Amino acid sequence: MADEGQQQVDKAGRQIFKVPKEKLLEFMRARKDEGFNHLSLITGVDRKDHIEVVYHLHSVEQDRYIVVKTTTNNCTVPSVTSLWRSANWDEREQWDLMGIKFEGHPNLKRMFLPESWVGHPLRKDYDLGNVQYINMDEDGEDYSTFDPGDGW
Amino acid sequence: MDKVKDGDFGIITTTLENAMEWGRSNSLWPLTFGLACCAIEMMAMQGANYDVARFGSEIFRNSPRQSDLMIVAGTVTKKMAPRVKRLYDEMPFPKYVIAMGVCVIQGGPYVKGYSVVLGVDKVIPVDVYVPGCPPTPEALIFGITTLQKRIRGESDR
Ligand code: SF4
Repeated sequence: MADEGQQQVDKAGRQIFKVPKEKLLEFMRARKDEGFNHLSLITGVDRKDHIEVVYHLHSVEQDRYIVVKTTTNNCTVPSVTSLWRSANWDEREQWDLMGIKFEGHPNLKRMFLPESWVGHPLRKDYDLGNVQYINMDEDGEDYSTFDPGDGW
Repeated sequence: MDKVKDGDFGIITTTLENAMEWGRSNSLWPLTFGLACCAIEMMAMQGANYDVARFGSEIFRNSPRQSDLMIVAGTVTKKMAPRVKRLYDEMPFPKYVIAMGVCVIQGGPYVKGYSVVLGVDKVIPVDVYVPGCPPTPEALIFGITTLQKRIRGESDR
């Protein structure tokens, strides 16, 4: 395993692998074959000039836990939904709040915010001054608006 | 002492309005409705230890159509705000609102966030504000008795 990716150890003693995003799918498939059957979380870090995507993998049988990191300059990384089904919602959440596009995701829609929300709020360059509101239409569907208007 | 229990307890005079207000204030039925951590204190208030039943307010109703008090307990997110308003609209008159906790009063710890309504009074009218993060059950009971005094038209102090 050590031959692929750059390797470090974090404070909790977990191995960290830094993998270029071109090799991510291949690397992840190898990890899954090794027995990492639980993708415990996907998260994103905004480093201002690039985005870091972090995957935590857990092997239930072997009681092992590793961290895989990859970076992207254009906010796209390959989706791992084909390997772990649980990646589906995790990736949608990252798309919603961090604006990371996962190529090959079957249904990359916003997870929490309405589709019409402008921007991705956990990004460093998100404009908090431009307040958005959410209203509900007749069918109970949410829509976002910049104008407080009715109901506010 | 030659008092006889004869069922004769004299005559009480009052106005119909006063009697209505007295009854209304002592039978507040809150809506079962918690949004975040404050709701835990609201449940504690309703439980045996603090026992809000002493003040005639223990019957939490599951339907807004049966309740006349909405205790907004917990962070009101922007996504929840239209639902809070809809629940409030479904409650029959007369209806009252207690804003519980700093989140509900003005945004609290999330005041600089993107997702939290800065005060539920932007969405529905509030009668009593109970500050704290979270307010203790005693504070919430104080809020309820304050509301009861207001319903009866008495002074708060
Ligand atoms: S006021 Fe404090 S305890 Fe209440 S909902 Fe907000 S954060 Fe939670």
